[in-house]
Amino acid sequence: MSSDDVVILCAAGMLVTAYLMVGQKALFVAIRLYGLQSILLGAVALTMGFADRRFHLLTGAALTIALKGVLIPWFLMRVIDRIGIHREIEPLVNVPSSLLICLGLTVIGYRVSTGLADGGRGVTHHVIGVSLSMLLMGLFMMVTRRKAVTQILALLTVENAVFLVALGATSGMPLVVELGISFDVILAVLVLGILVHRIAERFESMDVSRLSKLKG
Amino acid sequence: MSLAQSLAAAGLQAAALLALAPLLRSGIKKMKAAFQSRQGPPLLQGYYDLAKLLRKEPVRSETASWVFVAGPRVYFATAVAATTLVPVVFAGAPLEQAGGILVFVGLLALGRFALATASLDTGSPFGGMGSSREMTVAALAEPALMLGLFAVALWGGSLNLGDLVRATVLRGVSAHPSELLAAAALFIVLIAEAGRVPVDNPATHLELTMIHEAMVLEYAGPDLALVEWASALKELLFMTVLANLFLPLGLAVSITPTAVGLAVASYAAKVFLLAVAVTVVEATNAKLRFFRVPELMAVSLGLGFLALAIRFL
Repeated sequence: MSSDDVVILCAAGMLVTAYLMVGQKALFVAIRLYGLQSILLGAVALTMGFADRRFHLLTGAALTIALKGVLIPWFLMRVIDRIGIHREIEPLVNVPSSLLICLGLTVIGYRVSTGLADGGRGVTHHVIGVSLSMLLMGLFMMVTRRKAVTQILALLTVENAVFLVALGATSGMPLVVELGISFDVILAVLVLGILVHRIAERFESMDVSRLSKLKG
Repeated sequence: MSLAQSLAAAGLQAAALLALAPLLRSGIKKMKAAFQSRQGPPLLQGYYDLAKLLRKEPVRSETASWVFVAGPRVYFATAVAATTLVPVVFAGAPLEQAGGILVFVGLLALGRFALATASLDTGSPFGGMGSSREMTVAALAEPALMLGLFAVALWGGSLNLGDLVRATVLRGVSAHPSELLAAAALFIVLIAEAGRVPVDNPATHLELTMIHEAMVLEYAGPDLALVEWASALKELLFMTVLANLFLPLGLAVSITPTAVGLAVASYAAKVFLLAVAVTVVEATNAKLRFFRVPELMAVSLGLGFLALAIRFL
């Protein structure tokens, strides 16, 4: 197996985890799937870094695996344990229709990637196709999920997709940018975690649709 | 190969898989027990159970007709027939001229139909409930199975399982997202068809949850042995297809002792890995509520469809 094959398989694995995230309702499983997705993303960066001798990618890969693969899932699970919410995702659109919509989104993402220069065939095509599909699926999950934690997960999926696009389309971002993004993500998750805590305290639920109700 | 040779090879392959199937079931039970810090039944328990059941006298309801008697026999026969279409250790199936993917899926569907009608036959409420549930799951698992297999067939350029495996052996594993998506779809189908935990629980006789067990509740003695044996064989068959289509490493192309030995060893390793994967899924998941099962199957169907669609994009 060449390094290109490994990259394609890991990218495809990320797409499968995104699908499974849409297709099931247990909150903890969704968080673990996100962790797995991040580890696969780290594997993509690692393989690309070794194959093309771009060693600054290895730092990015290590950060991805450590922060997004382990730390963030652990933190989110702790938040959920603390506020003791109902551990089930209640989407606004039911699961089979969401899956159908995501199928359409994937087809669109893949089709669009063939239009990019250098995106016609080969690794770039698959990597960009997968990441565009994941981006669209993440946006879709963000608008159809009620709970704040699931929306954070959707945001993180979008972030993973953007990282993958950066890996596929460019020769990897400079280390400073990667560090910046990683710390941004950590900060965002921490702030959102606190926000979720506050929402749950105030409204006794994480359902963000209740935020529009007046409270006397 | 001449017809006589093909038939002999088919018989040999069917016998070998039949002999191994109970071991697979007991092995998964044993591994699951180890997961839960229990000792579990011995590895040969599957054989003891079958031997016990085969020695007993069949007890049938007075209202049962020939349909009830034919059910397990047809189920068993179709499963055995399906083994001859699947490449196991050689890059090719003994009776591959007889049919490919469509015949394979069709044979399994025929067996399922026979068992479902048979369990309706005695008129017991459990039988009807079981077959209704089985059919609900099957109606979604079957298209997912077809789509997953077609995604591979599209790349290999043939509907014949033997040809497909030869194509993958010749060209090596194609690294295409479609392969992984199809494999994931077929793995979910394997879980559903084998009646494993997120879909069905093989260890329970609780009326609210059982699917397959509800169907075969009225069978006893040799009839039950045939059903259990065929179910185990079906599980092994699905694992074989999954292993050899997506990971054709080590398949024997020639009949030399080293090639065959290597093929047998790699086949055992692949099936063992899949059994471990099934055990992990079974030990770490809770059984889904029945009305949630279609959602899981929809995921599988979606992955299968996507595997097919991505080939054209």
